[in-house]
Amino acid sequence: MARIRCEGVTKNYGAVTAVSHLTLDIADREFMVFLGPSGCGKTTTLNIIAGLEQISEGDIWFDDTRVTLVPPHRREIAMVFQSYALYPQKTVFENIAFGLRLRGAGKAEISAKVTAAAEELEIAHLLTRRPHQLSGGQRQRVALGRALVRHPTVFLMDEPLSNLDAALRVSMRMLIKKLHRSMGTTFIYVTHDQAEAMTLADRITVMHNGVVQQVDTPDGIYNRPVNRFVAAFLGSPQMNFIDGEIADDGATFVHGALRVKLDAARTDGQGGRKVVLGVRPEDVEVGSGGPADLAGQVALVSPLGSEQHVNVQVGDVELIVRAPKEARFAIGDQLGLSIDPRRLHVFDAASDQALAASP
Amino acid sequence: MTAPALASASRIKLPRSLGRGAILALFSALLVLYVAGPVGWLVSSSLQAESEITAVPPNWVPPHPTLGNFEAIFGAGKRTVTYENRWRGDAATSRFLPSGAENLLPSLWNSFTVGVWVALLNLIVSITAAYAIAVIHFRGRQTALYAILVTRVIPDIALIVPLFLLVRNLDLINTRLSLVITYLAVTIPFTIFILISYFEQIPRDLYRAARADGCSHVQALAHVYLPLSLPALVASLMFAFLTSWNEFIFALILTQNIASQTLPIVISGFVMDFTTSFSFVNAAGVIAIVPPVVLAIVFERYIVSGLTAGAVKG
Repeated sequence: MARIRCEGVTKNYGAVTAVSHLTLDIADREFMVFLGPSGCGKTTTLNIIAGLEQISEGDIWFDDTRVTLVPPHRREIAMVFQSYALYPQKTVFENIAFGLRLRGAGKAEISAKVTAAAEELEIAHLLTRRPHQLSGGQRQRVALGRALVRHPTVFLMDEPLSNLDAALRVSMRMLIKKLHRSMGTTFIYVTHDQAEAMTLADRITVMHNGVVQQVDTPDGIYNRPVNRFVAAFLGSPQMNFIDGEIADDGATFVHGALRVKLDAARTDGQGGRKVVLGVRPEDVEVGSGGPADLAGQVALVSPLGSEQHVNVQVGDVELIVRAPKEARFAIGDQLGLSIDPRRLHVFDAASDQALAASP
Repeated sequence: MTAPALASASRIKLPRSLGRGAILALFSALLVLYVAGPVGWLVSSSLQAESEITAVPPNWVPPHPTLGNFEAIFGAGKRTVTYENRWRGDAATSRFLPSGAENLLPSLWNSFTVGVWVALLNLIVSITAAYAIAVIHFRGRQTALYAILVTRVIPDIALIVPLFLLVRNLDLINTRLSLVITYLAVTIPFTIFILISYFEQIPRDLYRAARADGCSHVQALAHVYLPLSLPALVASLMFAFLTSWNEFIFALILTQNIASQTLPIVISGFVMDFTTSFSFVNAAGVIAIVPPVVLAIVFERYIVSGLTAGAVKG
């Protein structure tokens, strides 16, 4: 159990900066997810917290102890990897027991703890097997067992579910969430999968090019993205973006002939400013019967079973909107679209930063 | 492809694969003959008397197999060969003793002790160096690697005179220690190189897992890297032992008495100006190849790959 603090952490590899001036405060027992595309520095940050990478600048604190120069084996961390990283020459029992053995635990204690962990993870019948005799899901359970048997200060996970198939991933996600609750330990979880991040996290840190973009709750990240990158990275299908500018009245977005009403409270007095309008597919209402804000033509329909994604051509802009599964569309149909101005996101065209906090 | 077309394709394929197999078998047999032929002749001739060895046409299979040559070698220490009695053995029989024959067994022991020390010390030094270079990303890592490799670019022959002077100034001429030190300088760079490439194949996540589990560098090396590198370790042991066992030129220069001379030097001494006993030399040759062959047989089962199967998703 520990509060983890990173203060101005920078990691350079020669001329390349992998992590730049990262400052982060992770509360004790918090479930923090690092989210971002490949190469954004999230795994490097995890390695830095683990002590596996030396940092170029800054400091790391576990509670009130500065651990910047403390080697990994003295940090009392546990780690789970995408590749499972089980010791191939050891049995499942020995894999789980290894950390305890290194700490000089007694035979009886090791046996009791390993058995308890194995039962919790439903792998008690596999203890005498070797890793190559296990399936992917079983291997990842062993890796979790290896980490949780030691009651570490912080539990670090590097894309632990990425190699599993979709169904297994969902059940393992539940397992990890339960583990977090039962262990009462700080969890730091790295992923590029937004669904994992949204379902698991207390808070999410979105990273891009080694720089933290936003640290917030899943709700905050999704509904109040601070910039265009965060807005685009979360949500499937992706948020629609339309270049344009704010009309002189400060309450209308203009793109050619297309005009969209904005929440005047946020854009008042910004008339003439070049902006990018962000519209989440689920925030567009299709053919509600009321007065439509926009009119368009169906260009493509992608049924997903539970819902449909409809590409609608509005002037020279193609918007993706989400529609209920019962609705019937044919290509070429004329549609009326209505948008709640309070659900819109407005980003400055030059800086990509959100103009003001969305609701 | 339709069913008849498939059937005809497989009919055409069959003779082709047979022909391919025959060619492969032929070349394999030629290769085995090329490699094993001289060894076969060595073993065969060691079981023949001198007159049989030199017969024309040669006797590929011993007509009257005898262990006389080996008896002569193992009995040599009991007789003192002097100028007066050196012709006692008939050069045409299998019991002819060249002068210096009694040195053979002591030199065998010298070769063995030097080889074992070289193999062990080579491994201890190389393992730690290779781990540091392969796993720890320290500053100057590349430079260290190149510096180690560059030492092997210089031909051994160019080093002989400086080495001799160095060993003489250290007062180590005619000692087995001088050979151990010299051979280590030859084997360590190669072994480091072999082990680095092996260690680098071990998934980095295993290192991270070991460190997170609480391993220091030494423990990560002992508990993760070494158990997964057995084939490379065995190969390194064999390489170092065989290099030491076969080495000739350094041993010739650095050792001049029987307290320190190794087998190749002593055996080469049996080829004399006036007489050469092929039967004796070949029997000594057979004894010289026994330890490496035994080593290869003992360690054969360790030289298997695939030990890392199941470590990470493949």
